[in-house]
Amino acid sequence: MSALAPEERPPSLRDPPSPLPAGARYFCTVGRGLEPFLMREIRARLAVTQVEYVSGKVFFTTNSGLTMLKQLKSAERLFLLLKRQPPLIISSRSKGKVFNEIQRLVTGDPMCWVRAVSIWRSLELEENLPPEVAKPSKRKTGENENIVTKKLKIEQTLAMPGDAECQLEKQNSDKMEEHKDLTTEKENFQEEKSENDGEKEVEHHQGKLTFRVSCRCSGTIAKTFTTEEVGRVIGIALIKQFGWKADLRNPSLEIFIHLNDIYSVVGIPVFRLPLASRAYIKVAGLRSTIAWTMASLAEINVGAVVLDPMCGLGTILLEAAKEWPNASYLGADVSDSQLLGAFDNLKSAGLMDRIELFKFCVTELPLLSQSVDVIISDVPFGKKFKLGKDIKSVLHEMERVLCVGGTIVLLLSEDLHKYLQDYKESNITWNSSKDSTDEFKIVKYVNAEEKNRIQENVSSSFQDVRQECLDKRPLFGTLVQMECHKVSLGRTEAFISKYKKIHASELQQPS
Amino acid sequence: MRAQAGMKLLTHNLLSSHVRGVGPRGFPLRIQATEIRVSPVDFNPDFVTRMIPKMEWAALVEAAESLGHLSELPRQLEEGYEKDEDFLRKVHHVLLEVEVVEGTLQCPESGRVFPISRGIPNMLLSDEEAAS
Repeated sequence: MSALAPEERPPSLRDPPSPLPAGARYFCTVGRGLEPFLMREIRARLAVTQVEYVSGKVFFTTNSGLTMLKQLKSAERLFLLLKRQPPLIISSRSKGKVFNEIQRLVTGDPMCWVRAVSIWRSLELEENLPPEVAKPSKRKTGENENIVTKKLKIEQTLAMPGDAECQLEKQNSDKMEEHKDLTTEKENFQEEKSENDGEKEVEHHQGKLTFRVSCRCSGTIAKTFTTEEVGRVIGIALIKQFGWKADLRNPSLEIFIHLNDIYSVVGIPVFRLPLASRAYIKVAGLRSTIAWTMASLAEINVGAVVLDPMCGLGTILLEAAKEWPNASYLGADVSDSQLLGAFDNLKSAGLMDRIELFKFCVTELPLLSQSVDVIISDVPFGKKFKLGKDIKSVLHEMERVLCVGGTIVLLLSEDLHKYLQDYKESNITWNSSKDSTDEFKIVKYVNAEEKNRIQENVSSSFQDVRQECLDKRPLFGTLVQMECHKVSLGRTEAFISKYKKIHASELQQPS
Repeated sequence: MRAQAGMKLLTHNLLSSHVRGVGPRGFPLRIQATEIRVSPVDFNPDFVTRMIPKMEWAALVEAAESLGHLSELPRQLEEGYEKDEDFLRKVHHVLLEVEVVEGTLQCPESGRVFPISRGIPNMLLSDEEAAS
């Protein structure tokens, strides 16, 4: 039986599409370990409801426009959520049954596809506005959001045709004309949806779409099917159900599907480029999402002096200065080529008036004692520095130039993190003759179960890591560790560790 | 958009040629400028007010004077400056708008010279370099 059989159409087709009183449902993909930071950022920046996360994804509902959504800094990509359901039931004996299960992602509730595509179209309209509106100056921002809100309103109330078009006609571009047609059709469709020919309208309207399916499978399903197989099943189902056309090269719509043992998620990317690829960063060094998250932990107040003594291409400084502009930023490196790269980056980002560059070495900071409020740095241990003697002089210098009450946020490799934890535990004195890099044995973390753990909900493990690290004994001199978070850098893991400098009188005496 | 880096006097006020907080302070570094640039920066009274207590005032005045940009700064910091917008604007100008693009910084004790080239001070202090 064809999936197109009208009997299979859910009765909901005749009901009005569910209104969006609280806005549309979205999700962001996010680097592992950064989920809690993205949740916090989403709550801080957007008016949201129902914020929740699983490993690598944060779900939320919002009415906020694209301009606001685009500001998210700790997320990788933003998707409109089309479907989220429990994992597919995989019986390895019958591939056909599983194919049917996969198909039902499309045929099970076609209206959710229609609704999602309709919201996506209204967002797409925004994204493709001419540059002077799509990238508005501050003055235009409000206006731009208005359009989004209005478009969403039209979606919700199915009324007020022409209101948004008036604004759009001002743009006078061919592209706009084309999109206006689509919108008008969509509105027509929704107005007529309660009439008998509504279904035809759906097909006519949806038929113009070209699409591509991007599939990610892990866990049990990945053992039985390739992503290509799953993508093909979904693609064929979509062609049959809606009459869309597959176009792998330049589709108008991308369908993102992620299947694993924890959930099945279907979404539509809202922006063509990931949120994590910043328009203002010419050449990226450290991951922008990690850099922003580190800066967000650093408590950068107005008038603060912020130092990155190993700034590389300046990614941390760029992310920090963009978000917290009323501070004074100093970046230093020993390498001329890195400084030149950082200089290029600052210039193209237009942040030369907030960030100054120096050539000096982190083990000998040419700065007065207690002259800096915040230090943020990606410590490139293993590359430039050896553990042991070098970390000693680095932390000593950082502690010296930092004001009492000042904050240090470091990105540490697993080895370095382990070394510092061990050091704290054993209370070795740095000056002891035993302090030698030769004697230091790096204990590698065993990541055997890592592959299986990828899909696990990390909320509990995140808490564990945090608790484990929240030991308030001073690490070095007057530096006390405040927080520690394990984050993924793609292939490797690292730790974002935050310290505060306390007054010497607050120090606990070592037992 | 400016095309060059520059060392601001705000930053100069933090720089020292001696590390690890021992011995002479190596502060303030004497500035010899062959190229100075003045570029406008948006005035933020809150920023300037919070920055002033962190500055060594005498060193700031001396540095501004040596560049010929004293800009009527008083030798002594007077109380109640937070409310004096005219004063805050002058400090803003000296701290953030006057920049050294080419020149040198010299340690007041050892006489060691650090070059500023294309707005980036080279403050490498390593022993082998210091010895040469």
